[in-house]
Amino acid sequence: MKRILTAILLAAGLATTGHAADLKMGFILPSPAADVGWAKQLDLGREAVEAAFGDRVETTMVESVPEGPDAARVMNQMISDGATMLMLGSFGYMNDGLKLARSHPEVAMIHASGYKQADNFATFTARNYEGFYLGGMAAGMVTKSNIIGMVAAFAIPEVVAEVNAITLAAQKVNPEAQVKVIWLNSWFDPPKAQEAARALISQGADVLFSLHQDTPSVVNVAEAEGIYVVNTSSDMSAYGPNSVLASVTNDWSDYFVSLVQDKLDGKFKGADFRGGLSEGAVKMAAWSKDLSDEQMAELKKTEESFAAGQSHAFDGPIIDQDGTERVAAGATLPDGEIFGMNWLVKGVDGSVPN
Amino acid sequence: MDTLTFLLSGTLLAATPLLIAALGELVTEKSGVLNLSIEGMMALGAVTGFIVATASGSYWLALLAGGVAAAALAAVFGFVVLVTLGNQVASGIAVGILGIGLSGLIGRPYESSTIAPMHELPIPFLSNVPVIGPGLFDHVALVYCAPLLAVATWWLLRSTKVGLVIRAVGEAPEAAHAIGYNVVLVRFCAVLYGGFCAGIAGAFISIASATLWSDGIIAGRGWIVVALVVFGTWRSGRVAIGAYLFGMTTLAGLLVQSTGIAIPSQVLTSVPYIVTIIAIAMLSMDPQRIRLNAPVSLGQIYHEAK
Repeated sequence: MKRILTAILLAAGLATTGHAADLKMGFILPSPAADVGWAKQLDLGREAVEAAFGDRVETTMVESVPEGPDAARVMNQMISDGATMLMLGSFGYMNDGLKLARSHPEVAMIHASGYKQADNFATFTARNYEGFYLGGMAAGMVTKSNIIGMVAAFAIPEVVAEVNAITLAAQKVNPEAQVKVIWLNSWFDPPKAQEAARALISQGADVLFSLHQDTPSVVNVAEAEGIYVVNTSSDMSAYGPNSVLASVTNDWSDYFVSLVQDKLDGKFKGADFRGGLSEGAVKMAAWSKDLSDEQMAELKKTEESFAAGQSHAFDGPIIDQDGTERVAAGATLPDGEIFGMNWLVKGVDGSVPN
Repeated sequence: MDTLTFLLSGTLLAATPLLIAALGELVTEKSGVLNLSIEGMMALGAVTGFIVATASGSYWLALLAGGVAAAALAAVFGFVVLVTLGNQVASGIAVGILGIGLSGLIGRPYESSTIAPMHELPIPFLSNVPVIGPGLFDHVALVYCAPLLAVATWWLLRSTKVGLVIRAVGEAPEAAHAIGYNVVLVRFCAVLYGGFCAGIAGAFISIASATLWSDGIIAGRGWIVVALVVFGTWRSGRVAIGAYLFGMTTLAGLLVQSTGIAIPSQVLTSVPYIVTIIAIAMLSMDPQRIRLNAPVSLGQIYHEAK
């Protein structure tokens, strides 16, 4: 009796939704998908999936999910609601996600910035350093004080690589450029990010980099103080119409759409995806009007050369802070070392916290 | 902006919300109630202030609204611990979480929005003094109010009848009850006042210093407030010293990083906590005096005699 009842209820449920989608996909985001920020860019990827597949794919999204037991609960809930594909938008979801992936081989998961894969557990990372290299070039071009400041969250390899890329680029176009970095040792503290930004300005910085700050905190200070800023994740020029020099944004649309297609075709693989300018996962936005035509031409040239694979942000020679040559002239830093970077290049004022 | 100017003005901006909230918490604790929900009350004050300032354009109204919203949450806390006699520690943490959740919910449409900063009120003549002028005397009015509030709180608790009643209720609730004071009412008012101050402090962050709203913007400052009261041994002056010292060492840590001096940044991040604890511990070496200032019935449930 009970079984019949459930069947009727299920049928009724299906009837109300009308047409059952071929695939249900759940998105779990670590912060609110506001107007800007990391979560917003992932949510734009979700919208791209909906646009590309229409009724065939049904997506759900849960935002502001703290890492830990809450995340595991949300994942479980989505799977029992019939989701067979999950997007896990934070590094800290790794272990819970991986455990569930093992016990549910029918569910495909894609996980942001993790380093563990399984047959049904893929990972993706952005080569943001490519974008920041271009931002660093622009910073070197526009700085008058020759001091460039960076407000950075934690000294994880991804961020260290960005600091190094900015420094190499700025010094390439402007050998006088000096680079200062402040580590906040906090993933989320907008007032402290602003204090750090003001500290850098008091030390003469006239271009700031906002590395992995989800809110427009640093952009806000730059706009108020009348200096330039390059920020992460989203186009923030609306918050700093005069101050944003460029925004290094992430676009996951193509990647998500291709993985959903793989899943629908039964060809999903737990691969690691590192997307940069050439894959379209990193996109430059909001170039400032203050950059001259020649400067823009040079930036575009480098961007195209990166995208085409003709040159690389970490082409040698690269000397580290201690004066050791890390990459010889003519060589390029291997991928493994870029994603495990724990040293700073020569010219950075500051050190890597261990 | 030179280094010293930045250090002075940054210290005032960072310390002002801590001090205002801590002075409110001080009065609450003096009445015998430990309120651990400051973080949530600051968050609720921050989001309410931000929304009101965005909608109305009036920053003073926004500060008031932030205070009132947090006081409303404080009323919930007061009801739980004073009327239904809930455990103060557990209830405080629970109400704090409620406040943080509520602020995220209310602030969802405003997430990551920014707002024009509140107008500064430069003090004539003084603000024109080089270096110190822009550092100390070119701020929003609340920055100047905070030290005045510290003096007022000291005076209130030390020399007024209201202060005496608050202290009596915190020291010996039974005795205060016996001579005719309504212990629960006095404590409830002290809790509301503490919430109001925390709300104003939160609103200060969202509309005057950070000038943006984002879920989680308080980022642990509510807990520093609670710690400041304890390490300040329940005395306004020491709480104020603690707040300014904490603000200054936090900024000094960022400054040292920006000059490129090779001290590990984790050490610099922890310095404010260490310095504040050591400084206040040295000021309050005498355990006798700490006992003198700590409210005896702090955190205890008071059963009103029938």
